[in-house]
Amino acid sequence: MVTSERAISGKRIPKVLAITIGFNTLIAIFLTYIGYGQGFSLNFIFSQSIGLFICACVLFGEYFFQSRSPARNALLIAAAIITGTVAGSFLASALTGIPLSLMWQGEPISLLQLLFLGLLFGSIITYFFSSREKIAQAQALIQEERIKRLSLEKEGLETRLQLLQAQVEPHFLFNSLSNILSLLDTDAGRGKEMLADLIRYLRASLSRTRGKTATLEQEMELIRAYMNIYKVRMGDRLRYRIEIPDHLKARPFPPMLIQPLVENAIRHGLEPKIEGGEISIMAQENEDYLRLAVSDTGIGLDEKTPAGIGLSNIRERLQTLFNGRGRLILEENIPSGLNAILEIPNEKNGSPHRG
Amino acid sequence: MKKMEALIADDEEPLRRYLKAMLCEVWPELVICGEARNGREALEFISKHQPEIVFLDIRMPGLGGMEVARKITGACRVVFVTAYDEYAVEAFEKGAVDYLLKPVTRERLEKTVKRLQQQISTRSQPSLDATERVERLLADLANRRSPNYLRWVRVQHKDGVRLIPVEEVCFFQASEKYTLVVTKGSESLIRKTIKELAGELDPG
Repeated sequence: MVTSERAISGKRIPKVLAITIGFNTLIAIFLTYIGYGQGFSLNFIFSQSIGLFICACVLFGEYFFQSRSPARNALLIAAAIITGTVAGSFLASALTGIPLSLMWQGEPISLLQLLFLGLLFGSIITYFFSSREKIAQAQALIQEERIKRLSLEKEGLETRLQLLQAQVEPHFLFNSLSNILSLLDTDAGRGKEMLADLIRYLRASLSRTRGKTATLEQEMELIRAYMNIYKVRMGDRLRYRIEIPDHLKARPFPPMLIQPLVENAIRHGLEPKIEGGEISIMAQENEDYLRLAVSDTGIGLDEKTPAGIGLSNIRERLQTLFNGRGRLILEENIPSGLNAILEIPNEKNGSPHRG
Repeated sequence: MKKMEALIADDEEPLRRYLKAMLCEVWPELVICGEARNGREALEFISKHQPEIVFLDIRMPGLGGMEVARKITGACRVVFVTAYDEYAVEAFEKGAVDYLLKPVTRERLEKTVKRLQQQISTRSQPSLDATERVERLLADLANRRSPNYLRWVRVQHKDGVRLIPVEEVCFFQASEKYTLVVTKGSESLIRKTIKELAGELDPG
């Protein structure tokens, strides 16, 4: 932060100097106009040297001593203006050949008056610069906010697309369609049923990726459609059961946490296993957690199987949804397969921490 | 003359039936002498009956179509069948081994059949050339898959064995013959020395 401000103040120095010289000239013209001092040239030399010294002192103070407290900054600026006025008066006296002792007595220009004028104009000009800077900062902030908002929107879209792609994986889609096509010739009734399941599944997936929340029972409908599709494809190599207690069915459940676990269980657990196996989905709750377990009797997880995008996606979503209070646990099933357990905070009474 | 024989290997029954029916229409002289539900069954059948042609699904339980093709090294003419495998499709296109995409269309199957008939009529042997190509494809696929680093740490827990993704581990700490695995919410000892672990982890 500090370094970037310094870089900016370094870049703007020529501009600040030019504006200051302009102001100084205006001040000299103004003072001559109201009849102050002894002619324009004298006023010009005094106002330039005092003004430029003030400017140098303020920049110098800003560069080396700037602090976060506004009171200290105001004090710093006042000190810089006074120092600048005194030093500028010395310079002007040297340039014009008017001795300081004369000026001290008020001839031809009074030192005290100079100090007063320096403070007056110095404050006005400093105020001008600081408000200009504030406006620039505010604009930069607005710009930054806009960029942040746009990139957040983009991120949200990307996540949705990723989720959709994960749910409607091309291999799944084409394989299911081939099955439907083949059934239409041989067993049209089953083919139609499978097509209906695929439609149900796609529709539900699409509405979930649009962020619509669903109940546990609605999530299970999606899962049932998904499993039925696989059941046609895998035949009796796939068996499944779903046990959700009635009182949990209407409970809202974050979308798209369960489906990737079921997909994992089928694709990496049961499909590669020659004799197939069973998937069971069970829900339970206690005081603190709603627990949903997806268990399979498949080939289990090899220590070197790359963790799929699905699982890390679930972990990330649990983190953002429940801020560290939701988790995904993977356990080896006995005698074979995997238990994937989702634990999300139980907030049925609106109080996540009871007892 | 002996009739041309073919085997269809796919784990999904409706798809086997579908391909069989379509082949009957497109190539009525071809005899589908068998069906296999996985790679192992396919291998057994091939060694017993030596069909002229095999249609191999890529993704099958136990043994995939590619592995089967490698094991039979040129014993039959192989046509791969796959629903969607971006790597494989790309690789096939380079390697020119014939392949079919599911759902198999009649037009595409006719093309494959014509190609097969041509090869057979010129009496070229199912060449070792093709075997080489399969080998290359497999090597190519293996390269694309990530190398064998440890992805999960197996940890004994009161309810059973838990699997912790390596990315979740904050650090490992050596403790004689054991190693302490520390994650955000837990600490566990595993029966592996830190040296063994270091050899298995992705250095990246």
